[in-house]
Amino acid sequence: MPADSRLRRLAQAALTAALIGLAGCVQNPNSVFHSRTDFNRDVTSLFTIIIVMGTAVFIFTEILLIYAIWRFRAKPGAPRPEQVHGNTKLEILWTVLPAVVLAVIAVPTVTTIFKTQARATSDAVQIEVIGHQWWWEFRYPQSGVTTANEVYMPLGKTIDFKLNTVDVIHSFWIPALGGKRDAVYTPNSGWLKYRQSNLWFTADSTTEDVFNGFCAEYCGTSHANMRFRAMVVSQASFDSWIAQQQKPAVYSAPAPTPPPAPGRRAAAAAPATAAPATASFIAFDRAKMPAHAVPRTPIPASIHYDTTLVGDPVRGATLTASSSCIACHTIRGVPTMQAKVGPDLTHVGSRLTIGGGLFPNDAKHLASWIKNSGAMKPGSFMTTLGVGQYDPKSKLTLSFGLTDQQIADIVAYLQALK
Amino acid sequence: MATAATAPAHVHSGYHEPTGVWSWLTTVDHKRIGALYLYTALAWFAVGGLEAVMIRIQLQGPNGRFISADTYNQLFTMHGTTMVFLVIMPMSAAFFNLLIPLQIGARDVAFPRLNAFSYWVYLFGSLFMNASWLIGAAPDGGWFGYTPLTTYQYSSGLNIDFWLLGLQILGVSSLAAAFNFITTIINMRAPGMNLMRMPVFTWMAFVVQFLLVLAFPVITIALVFLQFDRFFGTQFYQAAAGADPLLWQHLFWIFGHPEVYILILPAFGLVSEVLPTFSRKPLFGYAVMVYSAILIAFLGFGVWAHHMFAVGMGPVADTLFALTTMLIGIPTGVKIFNWIFTMWGGDIRFTTPMKFAIALVGLFTIGGISGVMHASPPADLQQTDTYFIVAHFHYVLFGGSMMGLWAGVYYYYPKLTGKMMSEKLGSWHFWLTFIAMNLTFMPMHWSGLLGMPRRTWVYDAGQGLEIWNLVSSLGAYLQAVAVILGFWNMWRSRKAGAVAGANPWGAGTLEWSTPSPPPEYNYAVIPTVTSRYPMWDGGMQATESSPKSAKELGIPMPNPTIKPLFVALFMTLMLASMLLMHKGMPTAAVAGIITFAVLMTLSLYSWLLTPLEDEH
Repeated sequence: MPADSRLRRLAQAALTAALIGLAGCVQNPNSVFHSRTDFNRDVTSLFTIIIVMGTAVFIFTEILLIYAIWRFRAKPGAPRPEQVHGNTKLEILWTVLPAVVLAVIAVPTVTTIFKTQARATSDAVQIEVIGHQWWWEFRYPQSGVTTANEVYMPLGKTIDFKLNTVDVIHSFWIPALGGKRDAVYTPNSGWLKYRQSNLWFTADSTTEDVFNGFCAEYCGTSHANMRFRAMVVSQASFDSWIAQQQKPAVYSAPAPTPPPAPGRRAAAAAPATAAPATASFIAFDRAKMPAHAVPRTPIPASIHYDTTLVGDPVRGATLTASSSCIACHTIRGVPTMQAKVGPDLTHVGSRLTIGGGLFPNDAKHLASWIKNSGAMKPGSFMTTLGVGQYDPKSKLTLSFGLTDQQIADIVAYLQALK
Repeated sequence: MATAATAPAHVHSGYHEPTGVWSWLTTVDHKRIGALYLYTALAWFAVGGLEAVMIRIQLQGPNGRFISADTYNQLFTMHGTTMVFLVIMPMSAAFFNLLIPLQIGARDVAFPRLNAFSYWVYLFGSLFMNASWLIGAAPDGGWFGYTPLTTYQYSSGLNIDFWLLGLQILGVSSLAAAFNFITTIINMRAPGMNLMRMPVFTWMAFVVQFLLVLAFPVITIALVFLQFDRFFGTQFYQAAAGADPLLWQHLFWIFGHPEVYILILPAFGLVSEVLPTFSRKPLFGYAVMVYSAILIAFLGFGVWAHHMFAVGMGPVADTLFALTTMLIGIPTGVKIFNWIFTMWGGDIRFTTPMKFAIALVGLFTIGGISGVMHASPPADLQQTDTYFIVAHFHYVLFGGSMMGLWAGVYYYYPKLTGKMMSEKLGSWHFWLTFIAMNLTFMPMHWSGLLGMPRRTWVYDAGQGLEIWNLVSSLGAYLQAVAVILGFWNMWRSRKAGAVAGANPWGAGTLEWSTPSPPPEYNYAVIPTVTSRYPMWDGGMQATESSPKSAKELGIPMPNPTIKPLFVALFMTLMLASMLLMHKGMPTAAVAGIITFAVLMTLSLYSWLLTPLEDEH
């Protein structure tokens, strides 16, 4: 704890409470005034000083202005006002006053700069954040895990993010936790490798929760649709999640009868998974996902998908491994699926969202995505796959492609990849 | 004090302007060029405003589907580019043109034909850039066009080509005008008009010209690099080839931050004329106002990386740029207090220009305070690239620049046209603008701090953003109504406005001693200036009419000429020909470039070989 005076602490607490009350914790899930991390607490206490000073200056100046125009409004028959040209003492006064206000802001600013930009502790969890147009790749170099659009972090541990990109500049931002930091291309060799593009914080005052993340630097067509989720979980759950993510694709056994019910992912997955992972934590519990983290992007009217179709994951596995999916995606454990263009799908079934945080990961949305991702998300580089779909890139309607049944099979398979 | 009501109705300046389209195409009169700048900029203001309204319709509710993501990206890019380069800068240029020679007691600018050239380059450049809408390829890289997004690899359409070629064309216009005004102010002041007697608007204009001359070469170089990357395969911005992708950002903001002062200082100058007039007091702390502007301009070159705190420059660079940025707050604050004390003890008349001027003081203060908020890098990390920034710079550029420019329009319209604008309509225009402006931009502070990134086509439901966006959108629609009222007032007053007379506001500076509108030679006799406010100090009397033409008075005036227009046209077409390269027609492109280069050179020779004035 900083050695603040009690009064100042009180005032600060009151102001922070007012700010959060204004921002409203519940209705404003992405407010920057959430104090869940050391980073945001530092920023908020600095910002509080600035807001107090700024508000004081604002009130003082505007009252002075309003008083002046009211007090000295024209009165009929008034003589010509005294022709004052200036006053040196006043000039000095209002040169010094802003300087003092700015000095009050500058001192904590500089200390906070050096505090937040110090190197992260050596025991921090390392996460490499790699921006792609328009999705996020997350790598955990300490455990070799690669995932996409959902970043898991243990409660109370410092997380050290290292930012990079494969294409244009993106910016990594979880407003409720901290940030932002730009993802600027940093190669492994040459002088540019010395660029430090890091950000660290410790989610030390929160319960297990899901936070919304965004791309904050304009990066092209779907900049608005480049979102992600940050899951803060207990250390035990995190370890269990890492262990699960380290495994190759866990789908193996043929699906027993009866085939899974469509659209009910949780039910569908259980029989298809060889080693049911019910005991250990493999993903944030969908039922506990806060409402603000559940995406509500509508499916375009042009995409129809019959949700009563029942997919066969075995057929789906064969289809996936032999279709155009192999051009872009990795599913570790499947020899044909080693491409690194799109998100790693090894454990896609355990994710809560798809499409860069745009849609919930359920059968309907996943199927619509596979049919026509370009219609679901403008500019998507993924091939349009559904037969009869209008492909926004070539501006042609596909006369070939996957049928709804084939897509249902693929969906069943992907959903089984826990 | 001569007011509109007391000016005799039969008084006319006596000077009959030549009329007809041809006279406008060939004019070299700084006042008519100023009018051309003003009306063209206002036309683009309508276009840029329409773009803003479409943006706000799209964002009125969550997950909007009014326009496509690509169209949205083009709209916000063109809204920013239009408002900065096609509206505020040329509107400021309109006042430079109209006022600088009048305020310093000169008969025209130093290079009248170059002045015409500047305008035509601006017109053709703005038409060229907006022609991109016609082929559905409007610029879509944001107004600061960050590489590598704007390199050919990630933006292979003509969109960015239109943007970068358009900006290069417009840069020529700004540079030519800047050199012209610097020469004018240094060399053409009337006897007795020493630097510290110059009206403050001319002082601000003087500072801005130096900013232009020093900042535009930097953006020009940045654009040439990008142009070479896109057209000729160089690798200035290709990170994969070892280039630093941040090079563009540094170059852009070394231009871009001084650009902010290029946009705001002319408005400061206008307000510094309006406030004394309607307080019937001289500007408080004249010398301090001049020095603070110079200081702002100087410091403005040392703060550029505060736009880049999120890129990770390290704590030392962040500290340096934070401190220099905070320093700028001091001269800016000084200006605010000097304006308030200009009114202090005065006799304030709430005319429309005065209302707009007071609004600038009040609203710019808000923009200045939020500016200090993101001068602090750790706080800025939570603010940059969010709607908080959008709120900030609209308080600076709309609450500051546009309010000041509207104050200038209402204040100088009588000088330009000889007619008064309607006070009643003006009052409606002002109050609607003021309310709508705050309704639109104040909620953006909240939407930004509640986690809404900038330049987003959609936002999801249930994030606490609906109400703020709805209010912003309603404010934008109200602003559209306000702008229409302002335009209507300008249009209507040309015919229906009361006759103004030379000095309708009872102002103190030199330009109010000439008839309204001034004759083409401005002053029949070049005045001798003895003070800062010669109309107040008895140094000058208003001349209500000058019935004689320049010829009758034996005043040599430059001849009208069409040649600057041709040079500007061919220069624009020469650069526009480059577009054909990206349409798979390199031969046609080269042929076009050579043809128009030859035509431009011939026109230029023809221009230079024609004497400015008739021989005497």
